[in-house]
Amino acid sequence: MSAGIDLENVCCDFGSFRAVDNASVSIRPGEFFSFLGPSGCGKTTILRMVSGFIEPTEGTIRIGGKDVKGTRPNQRPTALIFQNLALFPLMPIWENISFGLEVRGVDKATRRRRAEELLTLVDLPGAADKMVSQLSGGQKQRVAIARALAVEPQVMLLDEPLSALDLKLRQHMRAELRAIQKRTGVTFIYITHDQGEALAMSDRVGVMSQGRIQQIAAPRDIYDNPVNGFVASFVGENNIFEGEVGPVSDGMAGLSGPHGRFRARITPEAQGKQVRLYVRPEHTRLTGTAAAENSVEMEVTEVAFEGAFISVHGVAAGGKRLSAEVKNDGVTQVPEVGARVFATFDAARALLLPDANVRG
Amino acid sequence: MSRNRALLGQLYFGLFILYLLVPLIVMAGAAFNDSKLPTVAPWKGFTWKWFGELWADQVMWGAFVNSILVALAVVALAVPIGTAAAIVLNSISGKYRATLYGFMVAPVLAPGLVIGISTVLFWNQIGTTVGAPGTWPFGRGLHLATLGQVSYIAAYVMLLVLARLQSFDPGLEEAALDLGASHGQVLRRILLPHLYPAVAASAAIAFFQSIENFNVTLFTKANETTLTVYVFSQVRAGITPKINALAFILILLTLVLALAYEMNRRRRARIEAERQAEARRAEEAMLL
Repeated sequence: MSAGIDLENVCCDFGSFRAVDNASVSIRPGEFFSFLGPSGCGKTTILRMVSGFIEPTEGTIRIGGKDVKGTRPNQRPTALIFQNLALFPLMPIWENISFGLEVRGVDKATRRRRAEELLTLVDLPGAADKMVSQLSGGQKQRVAIARALAVEPQVMLLDEPLSALDLKLRQHMRAELRAIQKRTGVTFIYITHDQGEALAMSDRVGVMSQGRIQQIAAPRDIYDNPVNGFVASFVGENNIFEGEVGPVSDGMAGLSGPHGRFRARITPEAQGKQVRLYVRPEHTRLTGTAAAENSVEMEVTEVAFEGAFISVHGVAAGGKRLSAEVKNDGVTQVPEVGARVFATFDAARALLLPDANVRG
Repeated sequence: MSRNRALLGQLYFGLFILYLLVPLIVMAGAAFNDSKLPTVAPWKGFTWKWFGELWADQVMWGAFVNSILVALAVVALAVPIGTAAAIVLNSISGKYRATLYGFMVAPVLAPGLVIGISTVLFWNQIGTTVGAPGTWPFGRGLHLATLGQVSYIAAYVMLLVLARLQSFDPGLEEAALDLGASHGQVLRRILLPHLYPAVAASAAIAFFQSIENFNVTLFTKANETTLTVYVFSQVRAGITPKINALAFILILLTLVLALAYEMNRRRRARIEAERQAEARRAEEAMLL
């Protein structure tokens, strides 16, 4: 069983501070949905409103089509996984997992059996009688998930559950979380400030800034077609050019500024607004001579070897910092520090974007 | 230089221990001296007879039983009151917290005789108001001694439990609520188990505070007496080494309990260290 969640024009104020501003999103049953944004962007507030620890100041939240206004956390079909996991340190693992069943009056034998089943599900068999302090970070993580799953929630809410883990373990747990979500079919709402996590695991991502949802889209779309400068910058690196935008034709527009004339894609929403040009370093080539369009001369200042690719940084006229990623394929030429090269990109790969969507 | 400093430190520590223990040793020694007076010098030979006299002293036994009963009653009242006050204090803030804290802690600072006298006056006043002054439960007696002691011992309990509450992760409470627990269930299954070590420690302290209480009891008691008041009356009547024998037994009892507590604490610390070592091994195994 899983349920969809609808937020309709939800606002949340803390005194005069508006933590969440007019958020609307429709999360499908069984979806893995992430809210991505820097700390203080309002993503945790959304999670706490869905779980029932905070009531929205305005707007409606529906879980499975039902308005949950006034429904207390312990009566909502949601289970929250806390940032610090909040496992009960004085109970053995199986009692931790079956706590939600215990408070519902389920008998001990059933609880024990269910705990063992869930431990198998999260790939931690045989840990039933251990104590919390005997487990590693990753194992605790699995116990927290099993404990949340025990109450058969229709929605799982995860508040940066991997942030306390080491990098390697974090990457391992990403795949694990995704697999558990697919196995159980429960709707997952995942909160993170790590764009890698959000992009790798989610069906869809909602990028947030200053209390506002900036964009809701599939990970690929978020990365390739960000709707504004904030989203483009938050999910990856960019070379950014300022300038005056020219007339639009066929979804393309020109931009002329201190670094020359460029041509790039422009979305209907961006038209008529102050825009800047964004292009990813991996879409930026280095050429010895200027191309027909979208070429900027720069002097190479740093060549950083990253393994699969080589990151080349340079400075163009006026101190403009640019970077390009060169594939480490043994064929592509890598310029040396001090060389003068042209940073060139395709118009189809560059975007003209307004700044973040904030209240004016 | 540093060796001299270490030597000085050890010397100071040794003198300090000596200062604490010598009176106890002298007093304990007197319990075995075959002399009418409680003294170690002159030594008139080793004897067990003072323990025998103590054993045969019916008044002492009565006072001893009374002390235990009062102490148990104090524990039964002060522990729930102090624990509840700590939980309430922990969940409020601002001037209400400061006010309640002040009210709870004030009896600790007040002299025992003030507590004793005010307890008697307070209950006497109530007795007069309802038209039955001096009758049970308004007149003096061990029940008033119990209530008087509770008024300041509950504050010790509160302070201990409050300290333990500082280390409670409120996230655990939220997690339990989110899993469907009621507030009562959170209290019983999550909060109280966390507080038990402090509750147990405060129960022990409340028990011994009550046993050793003298001034509150002296003012509130009627004919029934407790051990401390009995010892006081013996001193007035002319002390014999029987009292030293009693003190020796009490010291021995305290030492045994303290030792048992410390051994238990070390055993728990060892178990916890083993668990954490296992967690570290699991962590490393995962990363390989």
